[in-house]
Amino acid sequence: MANITIEGLCKGWDFPVIDDLSVEIEEGEFFVVVGPSGIGKTTLLRLIAGLESADRGRILLGEREVTHLPPYRRRVAMTFESYALYPHLTVFENISSPLRARKKDRATIERRVKAVAQLLRIDHLLDRKPGQVSGGQKQRTALGRTLVADPEVFLLDEPISHLDAKIRQDLRMQFHTLEELRRVATLYVTHDYAEALSLGDRIGVMGNGGKLVQIGSARELFERPKALFVAEHLGQPTINAIPSILQEENGSLFACAENAALRLALSPQQSQRLNGGAKRRIVLGLRPQHVRPADELRGRDSEIDAQIDIFEALGSNGIIITKAGGVTITGLTHPERHFEPGQDLRLAIDTEALHIFDAETGLSLLEEPRWQG
Amino acid sequence: MTPERKEAVVSEIVRGTPSTYPAWFSARKRSKPLIVSRRVPILLVGLPVLVLLAIVIYPTIWMFYHSLRDTNINHLFSGEHASVGLENYRTVLSSERFHDSLWHLALYLFFGACLQVLLGTLLALIIYEYLKSNLARALILILLVLPMMLPPSIVGTLWRFLLTPSNGAINQALLDLGIISSHIEWFNAGVSLWSIIIADVWNWTALPLLIVYSGRVSLPPAVYEAARVDGAGQWKVLRRITLPMLKEVIAIAFILRFTDAFKFVDLVYVMTSGGPAQSSELPTYIAFQRGIREFAIGEAAAYAIIIFAISAIIVTLFLKYMKRVMKAQGLA
Ligand SMILES: Nc1ncnc2c1ncn2[C@@H]1O[C@H](COP(=O)(O)OP(=O)(O)OP(=O)(O)O)[C@@H](O)[C@H]1O
Ligand SMILES: [Mg+2]
Repeated sequence: MANITIEGLCKGWDFPVIDDLSVEIEEGEFFVVVGPSGIGKTTLLRLIAGLESADRGRILLGEREVTHLPPYRRRVAMTFESYALYPHLTVFENISSPLRARKKDRATIERRVKAVAQLLRIDHLLDRKPGQVSGGQKQRTALGRTLVADPEVFLLDEPISHLDAKIRQDLRMQFHTLEELRRVATLYVTHDYAEALSLGDRIGVMGNGGKLVQIGSARELFERPKALFVAEHLGQPTINAIPSILQEENGSLFACAENAALRLALSPQQSQRLNGGAKRRIVLGLRPQHVRPADELRGRDSEIDAQIDIFEALGSNGIIITKAGGVTITGLTHPERHFEPGQDLRLAIDTEALHIFDAETGLSLLEEPRWQG
Repeated sequence: MTPERKEAVVSEIVRGTPSTYPAWFSARKRSKPLIVSRRVPILLVGLPVLVLLAIVIYPTIWMFYHSLRDTNINHLFSGEHASVGLENYRTVLSSERFHDSLWHLALYLFFGACLQVLLGTLLALIIYEYLKSNLARALILILLVLPMMLPPSIVGTLWRFLLTPSNGAINQALLDLGIISSHIEWFNAGVSLWSIIIADVWNWTALPLLIVYSGRVSLPPAVYEAARVDGAGQWKVLRRITLPMLKEVIAIAFILRFTDAFKFVDLVYVMTSGGPAQSSELPTYIAFQRGIREFAIGEAAAYAIIIFAISAIIVTLFLKYMKRVMKAQGLA
């Protein structure tokens, strides 16, 4: 049982992939890493597992420095994106391999493998070879092999990405309560933002050349992103990013979309935070959740005229993609409503919830500008 | 729900029940090639079959025919040969010479062919594991393959020379190292077969080495990473991962070396001519000797058929084994 401490970790091949990354993950914490494809998430896990050697920096498990130890001396368990199952062994033997490698007795192995297989619902496949099961079943076998091990650190690389929505949901719920996972430090990589928000005690968004751009709880990241990159990465549908210019009129600030007729008044608090700064080029971040047809949202809102481009009814909500003053804005509505393309409507925008980012650096102008926790 | 029942339910969801299958569906239907016309496969398969008929099947039948007759090479084409039933086989199977040669063959298979595969496998894995630079690997592979590229006459002569009892290099080296105290008579009865085996191991170990090496190269590296994370030591990885995954490849190496073993005459001919006093003869060498040198085509044909039968049995066993391995992995 131990926490993971990573200090100034660097790794690169023909270009720097992980650059000066530092983070501490507590014992029992579920830390989720999200980020675009190819940014270095898998590389980070492989560095911790000892499958790659760090160019610089230190990795500690508890008090023990493991930076230069081989994988089997680190006591980590890892799922691989490619599953890496042993093709000549049965599902049972695959799952039990870490237990056998650590010389557990037969009865323990049997019991632990059965329990995990039941949890993952592959207990009827235990006698098959990996060549005889489906992709999702392979992925669950790989996950099972990781879960039976009794490591100090779990490294899960998109462990449930290939499963159908229902099993994924079920497993996500299991992860919340699974004692094995909750006892030790877990690093979990995913592309699914819902998974990240749901599972992560803390979430680290990786970007900007292999740094963790922001680390925080799901709420923090969602409501107070420090950079446009973070805001764009979390949330479905994606946040509206509108390049704009600040203008001052009668002592209050307005954000005017560049080359378009859209104009939004900022709240006094926001104006105060921005501290003047008229003529400044910014990017306006507007979550679809805060854009609704005017008859659905009332109060402290600005209203604008818009025209429906596309309407998508998706079960729990409807998505409207509209044109307002030459800018495309995505908003949400009730799923039972119906809109026709070309239809005019008034949009209400919750300006309190606006995010404002610097156009050059992409950093939030409302939050403390600080890279990396 | 029991696991079996659960699987049945899942299978029903995925595959439906036969009673609900649409009318066009027939489970036994052959998939037709979409692009090429039907004549193309017949042509592509037919031509090689014709060639095989001409150069393999026909001669084999011809040989089988003569194994039942008292054909002498002088009357081979004049048709002056009479049927002798199974007499040729009786002669071969009851001859002391044949029995001895079978024993020699067994020794050769075990200490020649098997040793080559084991040694080749060992070397291949060592090279892969401990030589990480591609250049070094390429160089050592080329060096090891060189003996395979020499013609048998050269190999035989070379080893005759090296093994010369009185002042050959091998004896001299062994003497200098103090391993032996007097010359080994490499070409005496009882030793000459071993001389041939030594030369053959030197000659052919590189073949299984190359086969196993290429098999090892193509094993997925991710599996090894998983094993390292699991905490398996080197020995365990070798025994539980590498060797099981190389099973078919090693079986192929065995098949190749065994089929070659039944055709093995060249070094015997060059190094000892089966001597002294037939003490290093293999069955094939006797067939060659009886048929080509002593003109008894009928008897030589009987030898050939018997050798063919033995090798067919052994190779079939290997192929069965391979099929089982592949089936177990869901590959076949
Ligand atoms: N062995 C290697 N040699 C050279 N470059 C590598 C190597 N491994 C990874 N990279 C590069 O490092 C970068 C990060 O790779 P990594 O696998 O960590 O991405 P990732 O964040 O896991 O992406 P994904 O979400 O698609 O899995 C990639 O641009 C990749 O091309
Ligand atoms: Mg990855």
